[in-house]
Amino acid sequence: MNAEPSQSGRVVLETEPTATGLTVPMWLIAAMLVLLFLGAWYFDARGGWFEAKVYEPYHSVADVARFQPRSGGDAVLLRGKVLYEQNCALCHNPDGMGKLAQAPPLAGSEWVLAAGVNRLIRIPQVGLAGPIEVKGQLWNLNMAAMGVMYPDEDLAAVLSYIRNAWGNKASVVTAEQVKKVRTELAGRSQPYAPDELKKEAE
Amino acid sequence: MKSSALVFLAAFIALSASWGGFVLAPQLQLGRAAQVKTIPAQDNYPVARPGLAAQGAEVYRSLGCVYCHSQSVGQDGVKCEIVLTDAGTNAIATLAALGKFNAELGKPTTLALLPKAILQVADMNAADPILKAISSAGAKAQVLVSALGPDMARGWGRRRTVAQDYLYDLPVQPGSRRAGPDLANVGWRWPDANWQLRHLYAPAAEVQGSTMPAYRFLFELRPLGKPAAASALQLSGAFAPPAGFEIVPTDAARALAAYLVSLRADAPLFESPFTAPAAPAAATNSPVK
Repeated sequence: MNAEPSQSGRVVLETEPTATGLTVPMWLIAAMLVLLFLGAWYFDARGGWFEAKVYEPYHSVADVARFQPRSGGDAVLLRGKVLYEQNCALCHNPDGMGKLAQAPPLAGSEWVLAAGVNRLIRIPQVGLAGPIEVKGQLWNLNMAAMGVMYPDEDLAAVLSYIRNAWGNKASVVTAEQVKKVRTELAGRSQPYAPDELKKEAE
Repeated sequence: MKSSALVFLAAFIALSASWGGFVLAPQLQLGRAAQVKTIPAQDNYPVARPGLAAQGAEVYRSLGCVYCHSQSVGQDGVKCEIVLTDAGTNAIATLAALGKFNAELGKPTTLALLPKAILQVADMNAADPILKAISSAGAKAQVLVSALGPDMARGWGRRRTVAQDYLYDLPVQPGSRRAGPDLANVGWRWPDANWQLRHLYAPAAEVQGSTMPAYRFLFELRPLGKPAAASALQLSGAFAPPAGFEIVPTDAARALAAYLVSLRADAPLFESPFTAPAAPAAATNSPVK
């Protein structure tokens, strides 16, 4: 471009400025690539692929899973705790102490802590109606067949939970034991009366 | 304007890219966060703050506590330790089993002063064969997973804070300055609301060398009533009120104390695993009774 003072003293551009074919310098491309590499490295090290469950110092969900404390034998009881709190706690109370005029306590109950689980399994299968003595107190209430719709494993988990929660300590209930009683009781819709339940083997 | 369509398009792309990055992506990532169950206790977490503590969050906000206190605990690493809890009846078998993993552990001193951490392992998978060997020798052991980092060393928490901890906070007040200690777990560290009140009235009375200003305007100095107010602060020494007077917290002070007591981010969650103690504290945000 030539820009010279014209006769009038003003600067006048003789030609329109145009973009020339400047190329991007190599060092800039190299710098961009280095930045891209660093960015990718940083993301790989700390990004966790935007997974909501992954925080530093972990790198992936599998990485977090490697450090989960094992529940092991407690897994069944935890399953039972969830089911208990969803289904049973409304009447029996989350702490197993029962509720006046709704349900007798399970904590320390001789029916729950019986050496054999045969009677205990029968109660949620068909329900219980009539006067029953629990921890020296007489309760005259009705319990529906709450356990009838649950799979053997779930019912076993709940029963194992109530036998081992709130200071209770007794053997766990297995799914096989539940299954055996369930086949025996197939077709029965009449709830147990406590006296009748006492005639069953422990 | 020349090529205005191109300029408009470029601006549109730039703005929508930032909207995508700052609004859409976080929404996709965390927008559906909901209450979860803690591991392994299966308690609901988090639970909404009770009324007084919810009011206290507003007091916390209005007093600008966030300018000096963070509510976010960091974590650098994680540690997996095998803790021998019971040597069993067959000490020789136990020592033989342990000796296979580390010759040092095969010595009888290993079985003294139980429970103690005997081995550090990379992760739970690495711990499994060792636990199996220990249990088949008749001894008992468990794995202790604990969080590492300067904040843990200061006792500010047992794990890092995660998005789940702030689920019901509006606004979230994580803070960025630490003129004072982190408060993410202050309700776990100081679960007594009366302690919180005394500390708000006279920080130096409870924490030696505290630089926190005293929030005396949250309290009333008034003549001793008959009978004395149940909520009056139990102060002694230089901070005690003059004879015949008592110091009574206002509603704002009681709300703030309830909020502080409700601050605890120590529920064991999937995203931030650690071994909770045998009798875990209630993993909730509700005040400790």
